[in-house]
Amino acid sequence: MSDLSFKTQSIQGVGLGLRSAHYQEIFDTKPDVPWFELLSDNYMAEGGLPIHRAEKIRQNYPLTLHGVGMSLASADPLDLDYLSRLKTIAKRLQPAYVSDHLAWVSASGQYTHDLLPFPYTQFTVQYVADRISQVQDFLGREILVENPSSYLEFHATEMTEWEFIQGICQKSGCNILLDINNIYVSAVNHGFDPYEYLQAIPADRVKEIHLAGYEKMQGYLFDTHGYRVHPPVWDLYQAALKRFGRVPTLIEWDTDIPDFETLRSEARKAEAKMKEVA
Amino acid sequence: MDDQKIETLDALKCLQDEFYHAIFDAKTATIAQTASTIIAAGELSPTERINIYRGSILGGITSALTNIYPVCVKLVGEEYFTHMVSAYLKKYPSSSADLGRYGEHLPAYIAEFKPAQDLPYLSDVAQLELLWHKAFNAAEDVFSKDGLRSLVELQDISEQEHARMEFCLASSVHLFNSSYPVHRIWRVNQDEFQERYSGEGSVDLSEGGAKLLIWRGADFSMRVDVLSDDEYQFVAAFLEGKSFEDIVDMPFNQPVSDILQRCIQTGLVIGFKLV
Repeated sequence: MSDLSFKTQSIQGVGLGLRSAHYQEIFDTKPDVPWFELLSDNYMAEGGLPIHRAEKIRQNYPLTLHGVGMSLASADPLDLDYLSRLKTIAKRLQPAYVSDHLAWVSASGQYTHDLLPFPYTQFTVQYVADRISQVQDFLGREILVENPSSYLEFHATEMTEWEFIQGICQKSGCNILLDINNIYVSAVNHGFDPYEYLQAIPADRVKEIHLAGYEKMQGYLFDTHGYRVHPPVWDLYQAALKRFGRVPTLIEWDTDIPDFETLRSEARKAEAKMKEVA
Repeated sequence: MDDQKIETLDALKCLQDEFYHAIFDAKTATIAQTASTIIAAGELSPTERINIYRGSILGGITSALTNIYPVCVKLVGEEYFTHMVSAYLKKYPSSSADLGRYGEHLPAYIAEFKPAQDLPYLSDVAQLELLWHKAFNAAEDVFSKDGLRSLVELQDISEQEHARMEFCLASSVHLFNSSYPVHRIWRVNQDEFQERYSGEGSVDLSEGGAKLLIWRGADFSMRVDVLSDDEYQFVAAFLEGKSFEDIVDMPFNQPVSDILQRCIQTGLVIGFKLV
Protein backbone atom coordinates (compact mmCIF):
# COMPACT_ATOMS: atom_id res chain seq x y z
CA MET A 1 0.00 0.00 0.00
CA SER A 2 1.19 3.51 -0.77
CA ASP A 3 2.66 5.79 1.83
CA LEU A 4 0.17 8.63 2.15
CA SER A 5 1.70 10.31 5.13
CA PHE A 6 3.34 13.06 3.08
CA LYS A 7 0.01 14.61 2.07
CA THR A 8 -2.42 16.28 4.38
CA GLN A 9 -6.05 15.33 4.16
CA SER A 10 -7.38 18.84 3.78
CA ILE A 11 -8.62 20.15 0.45
CA GLN A 12 -9.00 23.64 -0.92
CA GLY A 13 -9.70 25.32 -4.23
CA VAL A 14 -11.48 23.72 -7.18
CA GLY A 15 -11.14 19.96 -7.64
CA LEU A 16 -12.22 17.68 -10.45
CA GLY A 17 -14.25 14.49 -10.57
CA LEU A 18 -11.79 11.73 -11.47
CA ARG A 19 -12.96 9.68 -14.45
CA SER A 20 -11.17 6.69 -16.00
CA ALA A 21 -10.94 8.41 -19.38
CA HIS A 22 -8.51 10.92 -17.86
CA TYR A 23 -6.25 8.66 -15.80
CA GLN A 24 -3.47 8.41 -18.38
CA GLU A 25 -3.36 12.15 -19.00
CA ILE A 26 -3.13 12.78 -15.26
CA PHE A 27 -0.32 10.23 -14.88
CA ASP A 28 1.53 11.65 -17.91
CA THR A 29 1.15 15.38 -17.31
CA LYS A 30 0.69 15.60 -13.51
CA PRO A 31 -1.69 18.56 -13.87
CA ASP A 32 -1.87 21.23 -11.23
CA VAL A 33 -5.26 20.18 -9.81
CA PRO A 34 -5.72 20.77 -6.07
CA TRP A 35 -7.73 17.57 -5.46
CA PHE A 36 -9.82 14.89 -7.13
CA GLU A 37 -13.12 13.32 -6.18
CA LEU A 38 -13.69 9.60 -6.80
CA LEU A 39 -17.06 7.89 -7.13
CA SER A 40 -16.69 5.40 -4.30
CA ASP A 41 -19.16 2.99 -5.94
CA ASN A 42 -16.67 2.46 -8.79
CA TYR A 43 -14.06 1.14 -6.34
CA MET A 44 -16.14 -1.43 -4.44
CA ALA A 45 -14.39 -4.43 -6.01
CA GLU A 46 -11.90 -6.41 -3.96
CA GLY A 47 -9.00 -5.39 -6.18
CA GLY A 48 -7.89 -4.67 -9.71
CA LEU A 49 -6.79 -1.80 -11.85
CA PRO A 50 -9.27 0.91 -10.71
CA ILE A 51 -8.25 0.85 -7.05
CA HIS A 52 -4.57 0.49 -8.04
CA ARG A 53 -4.85 3.61 -10.21
CA ALA A 54 -6.70 5.46 -7.46
CA GLU A 55 -3.87 4.71 -5.05
CA LYS A 56 -1.39 5.99 -7.62
CA ILE A 57 -3.37 9.24 -7.99
CA ARG A 58 -3.57 9.49 -4.20
CA GLN A 59 0.23 9.59 -4.01
CA ASN A 60 0.15 13.00 -5.68
CA TYR A 61 -3.26 14.47 -4.87
CA PRO A 62 -5.69 14.70 -1.95
CA LEU A 63 -8.93 12.83 -2.66
CA THR A 64 -12.55 12.84 -1.60
CA LEU A 65 -14.92 9.87 -1.88
CA HIS A 66 -18.44 10.46 -3.14
CA GLY A 67 -21.05 7.70 -3.32
CA VAL A 68 -24.65 6.84 -4.08
CA GLY A 69 -25.21 3.63 -2.12
CA MET A 70 -25.67 4.62 1.53
CA SER A 71 -29.43 4.86 1.07
CA LEU A 72 -29.69 7.15 4.08
CA ALA A 73 -33.45 7.66 3.70
CA SER A 74 -34.40 4.04 2.99
CA ALA A 75 -36.71 2.12 5.31
CA ASP A 76 -34.30 -0.82 4.81
CA PRO A 77 -31.66 -1.48 7.45
CA LEU A 78 -28.28 0.09 6.67
CA ASP A 79 -26.30 -2.11 4.26
CA LEU A 80 -23.33 -3.03 6.44
CA ASP A 81 -21.63 -4.96 3.65
CA TYR A 82 -21.61 -1.82 1.51
CA LEU A 83 -20.45 0.31 4.42
CA SER A 84 -17.67 -2.19 5.22
CA ARG A 85 -16.41 -1.97 1.66
CA LEU A 86 -16.58 1.82 1.83
CA LYS A 87 -14.62 1.75 5.05
CA THR A 88 -11.97 -0.41 3.38
CA ILE A 89 -11.65 2.01 0.46
CA ALA A 90 -11.44 4.95 2.85
CA LYS A 91 -8.66 3.18 4.74
CA ARG A 92 -6.74 2.63 1.51
CA LEU A 93 -7.23 6.11 0.07
CA GLN A 94 -7.44 8.32 3.18
CA PRO A 95 -9.92 10.80 1.64
CA ALA A 96 -10.46 14.28 3.03
CA TYR A 97 -14.22 13.66 2.96
CA VAL A 98 -16.64 10.80 2.43
CA SER A 99 -20.03 11.88 1.14
CA ASP A 100 -23.40 10.57 -0.03
CA HIS A 101 -26.89 11.86 -0.73
CA LEU A 102 -30.11 12.71 0.99
CA ALA A 103 -32.01 9.93 -0.78
CA TRP A 104 -32.99 6.27 -0.75
CA VAL A 105 -31.90 3.66 -3.28
CA SER A 106 -33.40 0.38 -2.05
CA ALA A 107 -36.81 -0.90 -0.96
CA SER A 108 -37.23 -4.27 0.79
CA GLY A 109 -33.66 -5.17 -0.12
CA GLN A 110 -34.12 -4.50 -3.83
CA TYR A 111 -31.81 -1.84 -5.24
CA THR A 112 -32.66 0.78 -7.83
CA HIS A 113 -29.13 2.27 -7.91
CA ASP A 114 -30.67 5.70 -8.27
CA LEU A 115 -31.22 8.58 -5.85
CA LEU A 116 -34.92 8.61 -5.03
CA PRO A 117 -36.96 11.28 -3.24
CA PHE A 118 -38.91 10.91 0.00
CA PRO A 119 -41.24 13.12 2.02
CA TYR A 120 -39.60 15.64 4.33
CA THR A 121 -41.43 15.11 7.63
CA GLN A 122 -40.80 15.32 11.37
CA PHE A 123 -40.42 11.55 11.36
CA THR A 124 -38.02 11.32 8.40
CA VAL A 125 -35.82 14.16 9.64
CA GLN A 126 -35.18 12.29 12.88
CA TYR A 127 -34.93 8.93 11.08
CA VAL A 128 -32.37 10.17 8.53
CA ALA A 129 -30.40 12.05 11.21
CA ASP A 130 -30.18 8.83 13.25
CA ARG A 131 -29.01 6.89 10.18
CA ILE A 132 -26.35 9.51 9.45
CA SER A 133 -25.11 9.14 13.04
CA GLN A 134 -25.05 5.34 12.69
CA VAL A 135 -23.08 5.57 9.43
CA GLN A 136 -20.62 8.00 11.02
CA ASP A 137 -20.16 5.66 13.98
CA PHE A 138 -19.65 2.66 11.69
CA LEU A 139 -17.15 4.42 9.44
CA GLY A 140 -15.45 6.07 12.39
CA ARG A 141 -15.52 9.43 10.66
CA GLU A 142 -17.85 12.28 9.75
CA ILE A 143 -19.64 12.21 6.43
CA LEU A 144 -20.92 15.00 4.23
CA VAL A 145 -24.53 14.77 3.10
CA GLU A 146 -25.51 16.17 -0.29
CA ASN A 147 -28.79 17.79 -1.26
CA PRO A 148 -30.35 15.86 -4.19
CA SER A 149 -31.97 17.09 -7.38
CA SER A 150 -35.56 15.93 -7.62
CA TYR A 151 -38.43 15.68 -10.05
CA LEU A 152 -41.39 15.22 -7.73
CA GLU A 153 -42.70 16.22 -4.31
CA PHE A 154 -44.96 14.22 -1.99
CA HIS A 155 -48.22 15.32 -0.42
CA ALA A 156 -46.83 13.99 2.84
CA THR A 157 -43.99 16.51 2.89
CA GLU A 158 -44.26 18.81 5.91
CA MET A 159 -41.25 21.08 5.41
CA THR A 160 -38.99 22.52 2.76
CA GLU A 161 -35.76 20.78 1.79
CA TRP A 162 -33.71 23.51 3.44
CA GLU A 163 -35.65 23.10 6.68
CA PHE A 164 -34.99 19.36 6.43
CA ILE A 165 -31.27 19.99 5.99
CA GLN A 166 -31.27 22.34 8.98
CA GLY A 167 -32.93 19.54 10.94
CA ILE A 168 -30.44 16.79 10.07
CA CYS A 169 -27.50 19.12 10.77
CA GLN A 170 -28.92 19.96 14.16
CA LYS A 171 -29.85 16.39 15.12
CA SER A 172 -26.84 14.48 13.73
CA GLY A 173 -24.14 17.14 13.72
CA CYS A 174 -23.32 16.20 10.11
CA ASN A 175 -21.83 18.58 7.58
CA ILE A 176 -23.13 19.37 4.14
CA LEU A 177 -21.96 18.92 0.58
CA LEU A 178 -24.00 21.60 -1.14
CA ASP A 179 -24.72 20.90 -4.80
CA ILE A 180 -25.52 24.26 -6.38
CA ASN A 181 -26.72 22.68 -9.61
CA ASN A 182 -29.11 20.42 -7.68
CA ILE A 183 -30.57 23.42 -5.84
CA TYR A 184 -31.19 25.15 -9.15
CA VAL A 185 -32.63 22.05 -10.86
CA SER A 186 -35.03 21.38 -7.98
CA ALA A 187 -35.92 25.09 -7.72
CA VAL A 188 -37.01 25.14 -11.36
CA ASN A 189 -38.74 21.74 -11.12
CA HIS A 190 -40.68 22.66 -7.98
CA GLY A 191 -40.94 26.42 -8.26
CA PHE A 192 -39.05 27.65 -5.19
CA ASP A 193 -36.50 30.45 -4.84
CA PRO A 194 -32.97 28.97 -4.91
CA TYR A 195 -31.57 32.04 -3.16
CA GLU A 196 -33.96 31.55 -0.25
CA TYR A 197 -32.65 27.97 -0.06
CA LEU A 198 -29.04 29.19 0.07
CA GLN A 199 -29.78 31.71 2.82
CA ALA A 200 -31.34 29.00 4.99
CA ILE A 201 -28.41 26.56 4.89
CA PRO A 202 -26.29 26.75 8.08
CA ALA A 203 -23.14 28.53 6.86
CA ASP A 204 -20.73 26.70 9.16
CA ARG A 205 -21.88 23.27 7.90
CA VAL A 206 -21.01 23.58 4.22
CA LYS A 207 -17.66 21.85 3.67
CA GLU A 208 -17.81 21.15 -0.04
CA ILE A 209 -19.69 22.46 -3.07
CA HIS A 210 -20.59 20.64 -6.30
CA LEU A 211 -21.07 22.24 -9.69
CA ALA A 212 -22.36 20.44 -12.79
CA GLY A 213 -24.46 20.90 -15.90
CA TYR A 214 -28.13 19.98 -16.25
CA GLU A 215 -30.14 19.18 -19.36
CA LYS A 216 -33.28 21.07 -20.28
CA MET A 217 -36.09 18.62 -21.00
CA GLN A 218 -39.76 19.15 -21.88
CA GLY A 219 -41.27 20.56 -18.68
CA TYR A 220 -38.31 20.03 -16.32
CA LEU A 221 -34.56 20.23 -15.83
CA PHE A 222 -32.70 16.91 -15.67
CA ASP A 223 -29.55 16.52 -13.62
CA THR A 224 -27.36 14.68 -16.15
CA HIS A 225 -23.91 16.01 -15.20
CA GLY A 226 -23.23 16.00 -18.92
CA TYR A 227 -22.78 19.69 -19.72
CA ARG A 228 -20.83 22.78 -18.77
CA VAL A 229 -22.20 24.62 -15.75
CA HIS A 230 -25.12 26.80 -16.87
CA PRO A 231 -25.15 30.61 -16.33
CA PRO A 232 -27.90 30.66 -13.62
CA VAL A 233 -25.93 28.04 -11.66
CA TRP A 234 -22.79 30.19 -11.89
CA ASP A 235 -24.81 33.11 -10.50
CA LEU A 236 -26.09 30.97 -7.66
CA TYR A 237 -22.53 29.74 -7.01
CA GLN A 238 -21.37 33.33 -6.69
CA ALA A 239 -24.04 33.95 -4.07
CA ALA A 240 -23.02 30.72 -2.30
CA LEU A 241 -19.40 31.82 -2.15
CA LYS A 242 -20.48 35.13 -0.64
CA ARG A 243 -22.46 33.32 2.02
CA PHE A 244 -20.20 30.35 2.75
CA GLY A 245 -16.74 31.67 1.81
CA ARG A 246 -14.15 29.84 -0.29
CA VAL A 247 -15.57 26.38 0.21
CA PRO A 248 -13.71 23.64 -1.75
CA THR A 249 -15.63 23.18 -4.98
CA LEU A 250 -15.88 20.26 -7.39
CA ILE A 251 -16.59 20.22 -11.12
CA GLU A 252 -18.67 17.05 -11.71
CA TRP A 253 -19.10 15.51 -15.15
CA ASP A 254 -20.54 12.00 -15.44
CA THR A 255 -22.10 11.55 -18.88
CA ASP A 256 -20.63 12.39 -22.30
CA ILE A 257 -17.35 12.98 -20.51
CA PRO A 258 -15.31 15.63 -22.35
CA ASP A 259 -11.55 15.97 -22.69
CA PHE A 260 -9.62 16.83 -19.57
CA GLU A 261 -8.97 20.41 -20.73
CA THR A 262 -12.72 21.15 -20.86
CA LEU A 263 -13.01 20.09 -17.21
CA ARG A 264 -10.06 22.28 -16.32
CA SER A 265 -11.55 25.28 -18.09
CA GLU A 266 -14.70 24.89 -15.98
CA ALA A 267 -12.50 24.68 -12.88
CA ARG A 268 -10.70 27.90 -13.89
CA LYS A 269 -14.07 29.69 -14.11
CA ALA A 270 -14.91 28.53 -10.60
CA GLU A 271 -11.45 29.55 -9.35
CA ALA A 272 -11.94 33.04 -10.79
CA LYS A 273 -15.23 33.39 -8.92
CA MET A 274 -13.62 32.09 -5.76
CA LYS A 275 -10.86 34.71 -5.99
CA GLU A 276 -13.46 37.48 -6.08
CA VAL A 277 -14.61 36.47 -2.61
CA ALA A 278 -12.88 38.12 0.30
CA MET B 1 -53.90 14.44 2.47
CA ASP B 2 -53.77 13.36 6.09
CA ASP B 3 -54.02 9.66 5.23
CA GLN B 4 -50.63 9.88 3.50
CA LYS B 5 -48.70 11.16 6.48
CA ILE B 6 -45.27 9.62 6.97
CA GLU B 7 -45.00 9.39 10.74
CA THR B 8 -43.66 5.86 11.16
CA LEU B 9 -41.08 3.53 9.65
CA ASP B 10 -43.89 1.32 8.38
CA ALA B 11 -45.44 4.25 6.51
CA LEU B 12 -42.06 5.11 4.96
CA LYS B 13 -41.51 1.46 4.01
CA CYS B 14 -44.95 1.25 2.42
CA LEU B 15 -44.35 4.40 0.36
CA GLN B 16 -40.96 3.16 -0.85
CA ASP B 17 -42.19 -0.36 -1.66
CA GLU B 18 -45.03 1.11 -3.69
CA PHE B 19 -42.65 3.48 -5.45
CA TYR B 20 -40.36 0.55 -6.30
CA HIS B 21 -43.25 -1.45 -7.79
CA ALA B 22 -44.51 1.59 -9.71
CA ILE B 23 -41.07 1.73 -11.34
CA PHE B 24 -40.40 -1.95 -12.01
CA ASP B 25 -43.82 -3.62 -12.31
CA ALA B 26 -45.19 -0.55 -14.08
CA LYS B 27 -48.76 -1.81 -13.73
CA THR B 28 -51.49 0.79 -14.03
CA ALA B 29 -52.79 0.22 -10.50
CA THR B 30 -49.38 0.44 -8.81
CA ILE B 31 -48.46 3.55 -10.78
CA ALA B 32 -51.81 5.16 -9.88
CA GLN B 33 -51.23 4.37 -6.19
CA THR B 34 -47.83 6.08 -6.17
CA ALA B 35 -49.08 8.91 -8.39
CA SER B 36 -51.73 9.68 -5.74
CA THR B 37 -48.95 10.41 -3.23
CA ILE B 38 -47.29 12.97 -5.54
CA ILE B 39 -48.21 16.64 -5.82
CA ALA B 40 -49.64 17.56 -9.20
CA ALA B 41 -47.94 20.81 -10.19
CA GLY B 42 -46.38 22.42 -13.23
CA GLU B 43 -46.41 20.97 -16.72
CA LEU B 44 -45.92 17.35 -15.68
CA SER B 45 -48.42 14.94 -14.22
CA PRO B 46 -47.43 12.76 -11.25
CA THR B 47 -47.22 9.77 -13.60
CA GLU B 48 -44.87 11.65 -15.91
CA ARG B 49 -42.73 12.49 -12.89
CA ILE B 50 -42.57 8.79 -11.95
CA ASN B 51 -41.58 8.07 -15.56
CA ILE B 52 -38.55 10.37 -15.18
CA TYR B 53 -37.28 8.17 -12.38
CA ARG B 54 -38.09 4.97 -14.28
CA GLY B 55 -36.07 6.18 -17.26
CA SER B 56 -33.19 7.21 -15.05
CA ILE B 57 -33.15 3.93 -13.09
CA LEU B 58 -33.42 1.64 -16.12
CA GLY B 59 -30.88 3.78 -17.99
CA GLY B 60 -28.39 3.55 -15.12
CA ILE B 61 -28.71 -0.21 -14.70
CA THR B 62 -28.61 -0.83 -18.47
CA SER B 63 -25.50 1.30 -18.71
CA ALA B 64 -23.83 -0.71 -15.94
CA LEU B 65 -24.66 -4.00 -17.65
CA THR B 66 -23.50 -2.58 -20.98
CA ASN B 67 -20.12 -2.00 -19.35
CA ILE B 68 -19.98 -5.65 -18.24
CA TYR B 69 -21.42 -7.13 -21.46
CA PRO B 70 -20.26 -4.82 -24.29
CA VAL B 71 -19.86 -7.60 -26.87
CA CYS B 72 -23.38 -8.89 -26.20
CA VAL B 73 -24.63 -5.35 -26.81
CA LYS B 74 -22.75 -5.24 -30.13
CA LEU B 75 -24.17 -8.59 -31.17
CA VAL B 76 -27.82 -7.80 -30.45
CA GLY B 77 -27.90 -3.99 -30.63
CA GLU B 78 -28.65 -1.47 -27.87
CA GLU B 79 -32.43 -1.57 -28.25
CA TYR B 80 -32.61 -5.35 -27.99
CA PHE B 81 -30.19 -5.40 -25.06
CA THR B 82 -32.22 -2.74 -23.20
CA HIS B 83 -35.37 -4.81 -23.72
CA MET B 84 -33.58 -7.91 -22.41
CA VAL B 85 -32.30 -6.03 -19.33
CA SER B 86 -35.84 -4.80 -18.54
CA ALA B 87 -37.09 -8.38 -18.61
CA TYR B 88 -34.09 -9.62 -16.62
CA LEU B 89 -34.64 -6.98 -13.93
CA LYS B 90 -38.12 -8.31 -13.23
CA LYS B 91 -36.80 -11.83 -12.66
CA TYR B 92 -33.56 -10.86 -10.93
CA PRO B 93 -33.87 -7.61 -8.94
CA SER B 94 -30.58 -6.14 -7.75
CA SER B 95 -29.86 -7.27 -4.21
CA SER B 96 -26.64 -5.39 -3.51
CA ALA B 97 -25.80 -1.71 -3.22
CA ASP B 98 -22.74 -2.50 -5.34
CA LEU B 99 -23.93 -2.18 -8.94
CA GLY B 100 -20.72 -3.91 -10.08
CA ARG B 101 -22.08 -7.15 -8.64
CA TYR B 102 -25.35 -6.99 -10.55
CA GLY B 103 -25.99 -9.09 -13.64
CA GLU B 104 -24.26 -12.36 -12.85
CA HIS B 105 -27.34 -14.38 -13.77
CA LEU B 106 -27.56 -12.78 -17.21
CA PRO B 107 -25.68 -15.57 -19.10
CA ALA B 108 -28.08 -18.20 -17.71
CA TYR B 109 -31.05 -15.90 -18.33
CA ILE B 110 -30.01 -15.41 -21.98
CA ALA B 111 -29.85 -19.19 -22.44
CA GLU B 112 -33.53 -19.35 -21.48
CA PHE B 113 -34.54 -16.09 -23.18
CA LYS B 114 -36.75 -17.22 -26.04
CA PRO B 115 -36.22 -14.19 -28.33
CA ALA B 116 -32.45 -14.94 -28.24
CA GLN B 117 -32.73 -18.58 -29.36
CA ASP B 118 -31.49 -17.77 -32.87
CA LEU B 119 -28.16 -16.69 -31.32
CA PRO B 120 -27.28 -19.94 -29.51
CA TYR B 121 -23.76 -18.72 -28.67
CA LEU B 122 -24.96 -15.47 -27.02
CA SER B 123 -25.21 -16.98 -23.55
CA ASP B 124 -21.61 -18.25 -23.79
CA VAL B 125 -20.37 -14.85 -24.98
CA ALA B 126 -22.10 -13.35 -21.93
CA GLN B 127 -20.44 -15.94 -19.70
CA LEU B 128 -17.02 -15.05 -21.11
CA GLU B 129 -17.69 -11.35 -20.47
CA LEU B 130 -18.89 -12.05 -16.92
CA LEU B 131 -15.71 -14.02 -16.14
CA TRP B 132 -13.63 -11.22 -17.67
CA HIS B 133 -15.42 -8.75 -15.36
CA LYS B 134 -14.79 -10.98 -12.33
CA ALA B 135 -11.12 -11.44 -13.17
CA PHE B 136 -10.72 -7.69 -13.75
CA ASN B 137 -12.08 -6.96 -10.27
CA ALA B 138 -10.53 -9.88 -8.38
CA ALA B 139 -8.49 -9.25 -5.25
CA GLU B 140 -4.76 -8.88 -5.69
CA ASP B 141 -2.55 -11.77 -4.64
CA VAL B 142 -0.55 -10.67 -1.63
CA PHE B 143 2.62 -12.58 -0.79
CA SER B 144 3.02 -13.50 2.87
CA LYS B 145 -0.78 -13.45 3.25
CA ASP B 146 -2.21 -16.92 4.03
CA GLY B 147 1.28 -18.42 3.61
CA LEU B 148 1.63 -17.45 -0.06
CA ARG B 149 5.29 -17.30 -1.06
CA SER B 150 6.87 -16.16 -4.31
CA LEU B 151 8.54 -18.61 -6.69
CA VAL B 152 12.00 -17.15 -6.04
CA GLU B 153 11.72 -18.61 -2.54
CA LEU B 154 11.61 -22.13 -4.00
CA GLN B 155 15.38 -22.30 -3.66
CA ASP B 156 14.99 -22.08 0.12
CA ILE B 157 12.76 -25.16 0.29
CA SER B 158 14.38 -28.30 1.66
CA GLU B 159 13.81 -31.73 0.10
CA GLN B 160 11.73 -32.79 3.11
CA GLU B 161 9.44 -29.81 2.52
CA HIS B 162 8.85 -30.71 -1.15
CA ALA B 163 6.06 -33.11 -0.23
CA ARG B 164 4.23 -30.28 1.57
CA MET B 165 4.56 -27.82 -1.31
CA GLU B 166 1.54 -26.71 -3.32
CA PHE B 167 1.72 -24.35 -6.28
CA CYS B 168 -0.73 -21.43 -6.32
CA LEU B 169 -2.48 -19.89 -9.32
CA ALA B 170 -3.40 -16.23 -9.69
CA SER B 171 -6.66 -15.80 -7.75
CA SER B 172 -8.29 -14.06 -10.71
CA VAL B 173 -8.31 -17.30 -12.74
CA HIS B 174 -11.52 -18.59 -14.31
CA LEU B 175 -11.93 -21.56 -16.66
CA PHE B 176 -14.61 -21.73 -19.30
CA ASN B 177 -15.39 -24.67 -21.58
CA SER B 178 -17.63 -23.42 -24.38
CA SER B 179 -19.24 -25.37 -27.23
CA TYR B 180 -18.70 -22.36 -29.47
CA PRO B 181 -15.60 -20.42 -30.58
CA VAL B 182 -16.64 -17.63 -28.19
CA HIS B 183 -13.09 -16.31 -27.85
CA ARG B 184 -13.12 -15.51 -31.58
CA ILE B 185 -16.55 -13.89 -31.41
CA TRP B 186 -15.35 -11.90 -28.41
CA ARG B 187 -12.10 -10.89 -30.11
CA VAL B 188 -13.55 -9.67 -33.41
CA ASN B 189 -15.93 -7.49 -31.42
CA GLN B 190 -13.23 -5.68 -29.45
CA ASP B 191 -12.79 -2.03 -30.42
CA GLU B 192 -9.08 -2.40 -31.18
CA PHE B 193 -9.81 -5.36 -33.48
CA GLN B 194 -12.41 -3.32 -35.35
CA GLU B 195 -9.91 -0.50 -35.80
CA ARG B 196 -7.13 -2.77 -37.01
CA TYR B 197 -9.02 -5.28 -39.14
CA SER B 198 -12.06 -3.32 -40.19
CA GLY B 199 -14.44 -5.50 -42.19
CA GLU B 200 -12.49 -8.73 -41.70
CA GLY B 201 -14.21 -9.86 -38.54
CA SER B 202 -15.97 -13.12 -39.28
CA VAL B 203 -16.13 -16.29 -37.23
CA ASP B 204 -16.78 -19.82 -38.49
CA LEU B 205 -19.07 -21.37 -35.89
CA SER B 206 -18.36 -24.83 -37.30
CA GLU B 207 -14.80 -24.72 -35.99
CA GLY B 208 -16.26 -25.90 -32.68
CA GLY B 209 -15.80 -25.10 -29.04
CA ALA B 210 -12.92 -23.75 -26.99
CA LYS B 211 -11.41 -24.31 -23.57
CA LEU B 212 -10.59 -20.90 -22.20
CA LEU B 213 -8.68 -19.41 -19.33
CA ILE B 214 -9.72 -15.90 -18.33
CA TRP B 215 -7.41 -14.17 -15.89
CA ARG B 216 -5.48 -11.05 -14.92
CA GLY B 217 -1.69 -10.82 -14.93
CA ALA B 218 0.36 -9.29 -12.12
CA ASP B 219 0.61 -6.07 -14.19
CA PHE B 220 -3.22 -5.88 -14.36
CA SER B 221 -3.23 -6.92 -18.04
CA MET B 222 -6.27 -9.04 -18.92
CA ARG B 223 -5.84 -12.38 -20.66
CA VAL B 224 -8.19 -14.70 -22.54
CA ASP B 225 -6.08 -17.79 -23.37
CA VAL B 226 -7.07 -20.85 -25.37
CA LEU B 227 -5.93 -23.99 -23.55
CA SER B 228 -5.07 -27.47 -24.76
CA ASP B 229 -6.99 -30.36 -23.19
CA ASP B 230 -3.99 -31.10 -20.95
CA GLU B 231 -3.66 -27.50 -19.80
CA TYR B 232 -7.37 -27.27 -19.10
CA GLN B 233 -7.33 -30.46 -16.99
CA PHE B 234 -4.22 -29.23 -15.19
CA VAL B 235 -5.71 -25.85 -14.21
CA ALA B 236 -9.10 -27.40 -13.40
CA ALA B 237 -7.38 -29.83 -11.01
CA PHE B 238 -5.74 -26.88 -9.23
CA LEU B 239 -9.04 -25.04 -8.94
CA GLU B 240 -10.68 -28.17 -7.56
CA GLY B 241 -8.10 -28.13 -4.78
CA LYS B 242 -6.21 -31.27 -5.80
CA SER B 243 -2.72 -31.59 -4.37
CA PHE B 244 0.26 -31.28 -6.69
CA GLU B 245 1.12 -34.90 -5.92
CA ASP B 246 -2.29 -36.01 -7.21
CA ILE B 247 -2.04 -33.74 -10.25
CA VAL B 248 1.32 -35.24 -11.22
CA ASP B 249 -0.32 -38.67 -11.30
CA MET B 250 -3.08 -37.55 -13.69
CA PRO B 251 -2.96 -39.04 -17.24
CA PHE B 252 -1.69 -36.12 -19.34
CA ASN B 253 -0.55 -36.53 -22.96
CA GLN B 254 2.51 -34.37 -22.38
CA PRO B 255 4.96 -34.25 -19.47
CA VAL B 256 3.37 -32.46 -16.54
CA SER B 257 6.65 -30.60 -15.98
CA ASP B 258 6.19 -28.95 -19.41
CA ILE B 259 2.67 -27.81 -18.52
CA LEU B 260 3.83 -26.45 -15.18
CA GLN B 261 6.75 -24.69 -16.86
CA ARG B 262 4.40 -22.92 -19.30
CA CYS B 263 2.10 -21.88 -16.47
CA ILE B 264 5.05 -20.42 -14.59
CA GLN B 265 6.30 -18.60 -17.69
CA THR B 266 2.93 -16.94 -18.36
CA GLY B 267 2.64 -15.86 -14.73
CA LEU B 268 -0.40 -18.05 -14.11
CA VAL B 269 1.42 -19.88 -11.32
CA ILE B 270 2.30 -17.05 -9.00
CA GLY B 271 3.82 -18.83 -6.03
CA PHE B 272 3.54 -21.71 -3.60
CA LYS B 273 2.50 -22.63 -0.10
CA LEU B 274 3.65 -25.24 2.36
CA VAL B 275 0.62 -27.20 3.53
